[in-house]
Order: sequence, then C-alpha cells, then structure tokens
Amino acid sequence: MHLLDALRDACLLLLSGDAELWGIIWLSIKTTLLALLVAAPLAVLFGYLVAARAFAGRRIVIWLVQASMSLPTVLIGLLLYLTLSRQGPLGDFRWLFSQSAIVAGQVLISLPVLTAFTLAAVQAADLRVAETAVTLGASPWRVMRTVLHEVRYGVMAAVISGFGRVISEVGCAIMVGGNIAGETRTITTAIALQTSKGEFAQGIALGIVLVAIALVINAVMVALQGDARAGRGAA
Amino acid sequence: MTALLEIERLSKRFGERELFNIDRLHIQQAAAYVLTGLNGAGKSTLLRVLAGLEQAEAQRVCFLGQQMRLSPYSRAMREAVVYVHQHPVMFSTSVAHNIGYGLEARGLPKAEIARLVDEAMDWAGVEHLRGSKPLNLSGGEKQRIALARAKVLSPKLLLLDEPTSNLDGAAREQVIALIPSLVRSGSSVIMACHDRDLIALPGVQRLKLREGRLQMRQQQRVHAA
Repeated sequence: MHLLDALRDACLLLLSGDAELWGIIWLSIKTTLLALLVAAPLAVLFGYLVAARAFAGRRIVIWLVQASMSLPTVLIGLLLYLTLSRQGPLGDFRWLFSQSAIVAGQVLISLPVLTAFTLAAVQAADLRVAETAVTLGASPWRVMRTVLHEVRYGVMAAVISGFGRVISEVGCAIMVGGNIAGETRTITTAIALQTSKGEFAQGIALGIVLVAIALVINAVMVALQGDARAGRGAA
Repeated sequence: MTALLEIERLSKRFGERELFNIDRLHIQQAAAYVLTGLNGAGKSTLLRVLAGLEQAEAQRVCFLGQQMRLSPYSRAMREAVVYVHQHPVMFSTSVAHNIGYGLEARGLPKAEIARLVDEAMDWAGVEHLRGSKPLNLSGGEKQRIALARAKVLSPKLLLLDEPTSNLDGAAREQVIALIPSLVRSGSSVIMACHDRDLIALPGVQRLKLREGRLQMRQQQRVHAA
C-alpha cells in the first residue's frame, strides 16, 4: 500500500509540472548531453585510430579501454575529486561542486564506453571499405569519414550507450557535484537523497523518468540494430 | 614507349613462407594482362602489392620512368593505380556518389564531377541504376559500377581481382565487354582470373604465377586488334 501511495504521488508530481522536479530532470539531461558533446568526437576519433591503425602496444590499449569500462564510477569520482579539490592539480579552476565538475566526471565515465563501442564497430567493418577508399585516392581523413559513415549505426549505438551509462550514474555525480539543490542535483543524486530522507514520491517520479529514458534508449538501439542488419542483409 | 611499370626482385613473405619472388615485372602502357596461377599461388596478393594495399620487398620500382617505392607507396602511383576487389564493395550512399568518390577525393569541382560521372555511367551501362541503393545491386551491377568508379579516374594501371568470378550469363559478358575499351582509353589492365573468355580476349598478354615465379607469354596488343 505504501508503495502504491508513493507511486500515485510520484505520477501526480510529474503531471503537476513541479518546477524543482523538472529542473532536476533538465539538469541531468543538459549535463549528459554536454558531456557527450565533448566525449563523443574524442572517443570516436580514438576508437577509429586504435581499430584502424597497426602500432606497437595496440592490444594493450584495447585491453585498457575495455577494462576501463568496468571502473566503478565512485573511483572515477574520487580521482576527479582529488584532482579538482583546492590542493589538486586542477584546483585553480574552482570546479568542485559545480555543473562543470559533473560534466567532467561524465566525460571520463563515457569515454571508455564510447571508445570501446566505436572500436568494436570499426573492427567489425568490412576491410574493403577502407581499401576501396584508399585505392580511389582518399586521404586518411576522408578514409576515416567513409569508414565511420559505413559503421554509423554502431557509432550511434556507442553514443546512445554512453548516454545511458552517464545519465544513470550516481557515484561520481554525488562526489564531485555535491548534490546542491538547483545547482548540481541530478536525477540519480536526488533519488539517493530523497530515499535517505524517506520521501519516496519525488524519488519514484525521477525513477520513472530514468526508466522512460532507458526504454527510449533501448528502443532506438533496437531500431538502429535493425537498420544495420537490413543494410548488411541487402549487401 | 616508356614502360608503365618495371619492378625488379619483387618478393613477398608471410613469416617464413615466401609467397613469390619475381625477378622482373614489366608492364607496358595501355596493355592488358591476365594473371593466372593455381589457387593460393599469390595472384591476389601480387595485385594488392602493386596497389599498395600490402607491403613487399622490391629492389627497384620504376613507374613511367620515375623511381618509386612500394612501401611506403608513392603518391604518384596512388593517383595512377586503382585496384578493384573480387567482390567490389559499394559505399552506402548513392550510385553516382560511388562513381564520383575518387573525383571528390581529388578535389574536382562538383559540375565536373557530375559530367564525368554521367559519362562513366553511360560507359558502364548503369544509367538506369542511378536511383538504386548501391547495397541492393546484383554482383554484376556492382562490378560494372566498380569499373566505372575506377575508369572515371583515368588510371594508368587498373588491377582487377577476378572481375568475372561469381558472375554468369549477361552480367559476365557485360563486364568482359568493358575491358578492351579500358585499354583503348589508355589504361593498362592486369586481371587476376581463371576466366577463359578474358584470357582469350584479343591482345591480352598472359602472366603466370607458378611456384613463386612469374612467367610471361605475349600476344598482340588489344588496341591493335
């Protein structure tokens, strides 16, 4: 009964257009998109280069990228906290407990996921694509654009996975953001706080939003995988 | 006439195994060659080496009278040599974009690209495929578009890996019919193949890879036929 009451209150809260609630949702989406805007180009470029180039230590780099996907976000948060704290190497930026710190943490969390997915997509690409581009006289930059275009569904899946990983993480955001109302309170940190206070309605409302985001993300991934399969099937 | 390509002591190894060790490869300008040999003899690898897609050792490489390198592949050769896979891959854009890809890479104006693409489509008989999705084309259609994509660049040397394998009937004949006109337009063509009709084309010279060595048998030139 307690859960049903909380669920009803959560739905009412969502439908009422509660400014604080929707402010938290918007802040989470905004910082996540900003982080992806920074991380995606870097990760896609790095993932492509690691997949497409032969160099000494390549296997070690791939191993490190894949292993770093498993790093607990609280550990990333701890390292970033130490880096951004007054005595840390980036302390002068005064980013700790700000949205910039949350974005920085999200960038660090999303980079391995984006890189690993891009790397896998490029490694799975038909080698003839790059060879055809090369033999037709394309520059390395144009070859990269051509290959990435051919594996665009995989790259999009990488970005979507990165979005899902980042928006749902709590450890790093709470450590470097500080969970300040109206400033650095994200969906996940708000859920943690409200639950600890025994106020479940807002927590459940935010949980519903997270579930909705997860459902949309997975629907888009399934659609992309279908498109990619259709393309390969026709080839 | 200056030879198009002369290579001395060309060898390719995979670890301890030597795939081929060719004393001398001499390719004339505007001439057609078939490269034959048993499966695994190294025909495709030789074409890929000549295209700069695989590395090999060469004592001396001379392209149109100029000293060149195979690895790293010389820029002048990159602009003059085009390789077409046994199963050509199409970029998932449009047929016209596929054919104009190399022209775009060379920075030609859009109007010039459109004109040359139209000419190449007409040459390959693929105008009716303009609106088709490249990934949905048949093997023969892809092969003709790949030839148009190569020809539009006016390559000095065109390397075709089994251009008619897996094609039958009209598709195969259409591809074979395009080869002599490539030579007439000034390109030299080397085709790795087993296709008797390609081997029997007038003027085609025969290169045979056998036990790592290259043998050559000369016939009359295609454009003189």
